[in-house]
Amino acid sequence: MNYRKIRLITSIVLFLLVSVSASLQAVEPGKLIMDTIDKGILILKDPALKGEEKVQERRQKLWEEISPVFNFEEMSKRALGLYWKKCSPEEKKEFVELFTSILKDAYIGKTDTYSGEKIVLIKEKIESNYANVQTRFVTINGTEVLVGFCMMDTQEKWKVYDVVIEGVSMVNNYRNQFNSILVKSSYKELVQKIKEKKARG
Amino acid sequence: MGKFALLLFFFGVSICLSQTRVSGMELSVPEEQTPEAKSDGENILPTVADIKMGEQEPLYVELETVLISDPIQPYNRAIFDFNDDTYRYVMKPISTGYKKAFPKKVRISIRNFFLNIKMPVRFVNCLLQGKIEGASTEMARFIINTTIGLGGLFDPAKSQFHLERQDEDFGQTLAKYKLKSGPYIEWPFLGPSTVRETIGYVGDTILNPVSFIVFIAGPLGAFGTNAFYQNNEISLDKGATYENITEPAIDPYIALQYAYIQYRHKKIKE
Repeated sequence: MNYRKIRLITSIVLFLLVSVSASLQAVEPGKLIMDTIDKGILILKDPALKGEEKVQERRQKLWEEISPVFNFEEMSKRALGLYWKKCSPEEKKEFVELFTSILKDAYIGKTDTYSGEKIVLIKEKIESNYANVQTRFVTINGTEVLVGFCMMDTQEKWKVYDVVIEGVSMVNNYRNQFNSILVKSSYKELVQKIKEKKARG
Repeated sequence: MGKFALLLFFFGVSICLSQTRVSGMELSVPEEQTPEAKSDGENILPTVADIKMGEQEPLYVELETVLISDPIQPYNRAIFDFNDDTYRYVMKPISTGYKKAFPKKVRISIRNFFLNIKMPVRFVNCLLQGKIEGASTEMARFIINTTIGLGGLFDPAKSQFHLERQDEDFGQTLAKYKLKSGPYIEWPFLGPSTVRETIGYVGDTILNPVSFIVFIAGPLGAFGTNAFYQNNEISLDKGATYENITEPAIDPYIALQYAYIQYRHKKIKE
């Protein structure tokens, strides 16, 4: 008899615990960004991953840690703008893959020169399922750079769809470039140009 | 020299004024896109038209779309290529050597020194924009940094008194007075600009005491001083910033143009 009661109580407690932790999992956007940055910095500072021969391993670890926070499909969609709708599902898939790898190649290497920059959370603004997280990067030269993360709630998870550095939107910048190519030539040529860029590294 | 600057100034003003009527129509987006965007039921992306119609802006279109007029793009692209080569094959190697020769502290002091001398530019433009608090901050900074900061080599005004530099320039002042930016121009050596920013640059140069070097050392001396300052800047952050914009780009010319226009837009709004 007593044993059943204990089992009932434990299961209730367990249920409560699980539901509480589930609700905690929908981390606030600002905290998510800062936690991700902290995790990234830990990898960059890891003595076991320092040195020339560890570069690729370090970049890969960093990518695995950071990439889940980004919504690459949304970024591709926004970067391609109106032309996105004209693409077939296969083309969309190919484009997302290409754009993701371009972003990875372009920005992951920039972390190699990390030398103790500090990142501070300034504010976060949430409006229904969109959020904006403002941070300040302070370089070792004392230069302050404002970095904003535009996020949206996708399937109960906040994900970044744009990074805005000193008022310059990364996705809009690509959209402008893609547009200037698409206006003059075709989608095929744009893909070709992106592939060439990828090959160049 | 003075006459030439004045001439350039009026030339620019007349271009800007004549531009005000047309600049709104010069979209870099092809025209056939706009009606299509309107007919689209689904709203994937906020279009230029949507934003201009003054709809309630949700958080995700917080960034204003700035239209860039670029009628002389073929010329600008040629100058961009020239500037890019100059950076890559001349300035970058020089600044890399310079960076190795001088410790960072020295290079930051050189930057501080130049920025401190340039105070009249920020002070006057604060006043012209009615930023009295900004102007007095600049005055206080100048006094502190010139004395305690040993002639401007250090920036105790910021580190000790928490007085931030007020980055106001003549281009921003002109924008505050509703002068339109006019077409985009890429200048040899100086890089991205617009007609308005070019006039602003001339104004800032006149207000900048460093320019007086022209009377002592001649035009070549002034050019050399500026080249030295730019080289110092490249060794600190400017080179990395330029590379961060152009390297990941599919079309570096458009990427730099967009980044420049957006950055200036943000500065003007501040």
